[in-house]
Amino acid sequence: MSALLSPALKRDLGLVGWQIRYEQRSYWRNRGRGIFTFVFPLMFLVIFGALDKGQTLSTRGGIPYDDFFVPGILAYGVIATTFVNMAISTAILRDEGILKRMQGTPLPRWAYVAARIGSTLLIVGGITVVTLGIGAIAYGVDIPASTFPALIVTLALGTAAFTTLGIGVTRFIPNSEAAPVIINLVVLPLTFISSIWFPTDNMPKALVQIAKVFPIRALADGLQYVLDPRTVGAGFNAQDLRTLAIWTIAGVFLMLRFLRRPLGEAA
Amino acid sequence: MTSTHSQTQGPAITVSGLRKAYGDVEAVRGVSFEVARGEVFCLLGPNGAGKTTTVEILEGYRFRTGGDVRVLGRDPAAGERELREAVGIVLQQCGVQQDLTVRELVEMYGRYHEPSRPVDEVIALVELTEKRDVRAKNLSGGQRRRLDLALALVGDPELIFLDEPTTGFDPAARRQAWATIKSLCALGKTIFLTTHFMDEAQALADRVAVMRGGEIIASGRPDEIGGRDLRPAEIRFALPPSWSLGDIPDVPSVGREIQADRVTVFTREPVVASHEITTWALEHDVELAHFSVTQPTLEDIYLELTGSRDQHEMTNQEVVR
Repeated sequence: MSALLSPALKRDLGLVGWQIRYEQRSYWRNRGRGIFTFVFPLMFLVIFGALDKGQTLSTRGGIPYDDFFVPGILAYGVIATTFVNMAISTAILRDEGILKRMQGTPLPRWAYVAARIGSTLLIVGGITVVTLGIGAIAYGVDIPASTFPALIVTLALGTAAFTTLGIGVTRFIPNSEAAPVIINLVVLPLTFISSIWFPTDNMPKALVQIAKVFPIRALADGLQYVLDPRTVGAGFNAQDLRTLAIWTIAGVFLMLRFLRRPLGEAA
Repeated sequence: MTSTHSQTQGPAITVSGLRKAYGDVEAVRGVSFEVARGEVFCLLGPNGAGKTTTVEILEGYRFRTGGDVRVLGRDPAAGERELREAVGIVLQQCGVQQDLTVRELVEMYGRYHEPSRPVDEVIALVELTEKRDVRAKNLSGGQRRRLDLALALVGDPELIFLDEPTTGFDPAARRQAWATIKSLCALGKTIFLTTHFMDEAQALADRVAVMRGGEIIASGRPDEIGGRDLRPAEIRFALPPSWSLGDIPDVPSVGREIQADRVTVFTREPVVASHEITTWALEHDVELAHFSVTQPTLEDIYLELTGSRDQHEMTNQEVVR
């Protein structure tokens, strides 16, 4: 395997590994960021767990509420880590000139982007393990082995869509001060019609149709389908996965557009 | 340690007929110059003269619209990694990963280069050894600037771009930075400097070029630029009220003027002229207050060349009035 890689590529992959370590160190030392992406979802998990104790969902065949909100909040955690955090931090890196400084070094641009994405994946992994761990232990959410591949695929596709969109959307953020406002203005209203906090089964059709266009509902619904006790079979929700795949393509396109632009020219 | 960096022959930088337009506005209009290897070259000019555009084209951050540019034998617009290996850049205002320490940052940026200089050696060179475990966000302005320099030096570059490297330094820190920059010259590095400080250009540069309105309007050694070495010296003093300009002996000069009680004599023979004036003053017991002999400074020449001189003097007169 390693014989297939040229020495130059091996060195660059080594650099990606090192860069992931530096990105991680930066991430965990910045308390504000840690709170936004890690503590918030966990806090919601505890609050919702207490509020909805023992309740069931009549619109969904009487399944425990816990089986609904745990995957919903996992979706929120993934979106906060990838889309929200990636967009805000990339805008900051751009405005502070760090992207420009990195561009002046021999580190290939793809390696830097790969490390930023790699570091984000580690955090997504952490969020997933903690959220599902608490869900299983405290709220009795069952994670069956039969739908485990679907869980991983849905999470992976959602992460791909929101990470690439998070980088790509930076192009539309005029400055880093405006970034949190703009991003939350897009994300927060959508979460309310996207089955993150509560079921949208009785919501007006028009709102559901709007929500279905965007990837937030697709990720939440896809994960809720995987963890729904009534689900039989492998748990792949084709419609949600298709929506996520389309947004991933859009995200990759936007990301490449943003990354190809010479930074000096952008200024 | 093979030097795959770049061609080692020829000038470090060659620029010919460089042009850059932003829409209808031409920021750089046909600039040509050459920087030899091992030279300290300084680009001067007021804001909006096209300095930063020129430097950023050389650094590969901007694309030219005309002319030709070679940096270490390569076209910076191609963005080749080999060129970035051989060039160190200190940008004017540029952030850094705030939550990492000085040591971590120097180490991190060092990894991008093959080969790189030892981390501790670079930190010592910019005198940040005591701050090595401090996070970037907790450094003072001057320390941050020295960190910038360290991050540019850790890759052991052949050519270093310094864009206003000492802005925000106190006088002592500036002298120290100059000493560091001079030590880089001693190592044979080529340095491309832009600055607002004329004393900095005077102290460091082998050659300076002055830009205005997107063009280079003068270039040369700091003590010769704009015919500085050929300008007459200026002898100045205050004449007591009982004396007039006509009372002063006819010394070798190219002109003389009086404003209120202040006399200025322009002369190409400052030694003879000042001797004759002071001899006359002693013989007639005239006290010449504020007596001085000066050669025009680089700043005088610069202000004259860039056309800010008249404005400058006008504001002074307004203040007097």
